[in-house]
Amino acid sequence: MIVCVAVVGHQNNPLYLQSFTEADDALKLHHVVHCSLDVIDERVNNPKRNAPALNETFLGLLYPTENYKVYGYLTNTKVKFIMVTTDLDVKDADARNFFRKFHAAYVDAVSNPFHVPGKKIASRSFGARVSTIVKSFGSGTTA
Amino acid sequence: MIGVGKAKQYANVLDKPLSRGRQEVSLSAFAFLFSELVQYNQTQVDNIAELERRLEDAGYAVGARVLELLCHREKGNRRETRLLGILSFIHSTVWKVLFGKVADSLEKGTEHEDEYMISEKELLVNRFISVPKDMGAFNCGAFVAGIVRGVLENAGFPAVVTAHFVPIEGQQRPRTTILIKFAEEVLQREARFG
Repeated sequence: MIVCVAVVGHQNNPLYLQSFTEADDALKLHHVVHCSLDVIDERVNNPKRNAPALNETFLGLLYPTENYKVYGYLTNTKVKFIMVTTDLDVKDADARNFFRKFHAAYVDAVSNPFHVPGKKIASRSFGARVSTIVKSFGSGTTA
Repeated sequence: MIGVGKAKQYANVLDKPLSRGRQEVSLSAFAFLFSELVQYNQTQVDNIAELERRLEDAGYAVGARVLELLCHREKGNRRETRLLGILSFIHSTVWKVLFGKVADSLEKGTEHEDEYMISEKELLVNRFISVPKDMGAFNCGAFVAGIVRGVLENAGFPAVVTAHFVPIEGQQRPRTTILIKFAEEVLQREARFG
């Protein structure tokens, strides 16, 4: 189950952050997302031999904690998508598929002429669409 | 994409083919809208340089969005990290989506290492525009220069992009050249990549 998704700007400024959990651990999830930014910078600037290709958008598993797994995705505009999940056996294909849909929703949100690039995404339809994508994660349905 | 040809009219929405096909915007509708954009900005400025800057800013917003859209749609999960890669992406993919064809040419500047040029025999935004003599070298291609700058800057390749007219012998209308001058950091990074 996905417990948190985030969109972070190219200057590491939060553009959108949403947690999907009953418990009151939003702050903890924010911290997890924040920590993952360093991992992304490390991945992109110092790629390892066995890591995904230097110019791959899907960054794969960033790091696991005892409760969560954090996955990342970096767009051409250096905007980072982060997904925190409690599932310990997430298929790479499912994560990729999730980020593709998430990216599509983000593209539609920023294509709005009234959206100011670099500012937080306040679109309610974007929020609703993200919730739908999160709910359909791993079930093989399309949003 | 701005289309020159007529789009086929369907009386019934059910007759429309399901495939997306060529999605075109009427050229005359675009020309009218662009004309309004230029005229509006003309009322807000005192000099030509300021008018070009405003058109460039309008284009920049388009470029930033076009990059995000096309990278999701066309790039197949790849980020562009190389200079020639992003230039050919603009010259082919971006141009084709915006203007329905690949740009006429992409050349490297002969005098400076950091300069590249995209040339168009007849830039679409200039098609129905004739610049008055009192406006000197004003070029509405500044809007397209802004689009190019928007794509480059948001992809991590900061550059100064300008539009210029280049006269051609034996032709009434000059060709338009989009001159791209990259920031020093871009060339240094490119050198590191080898």
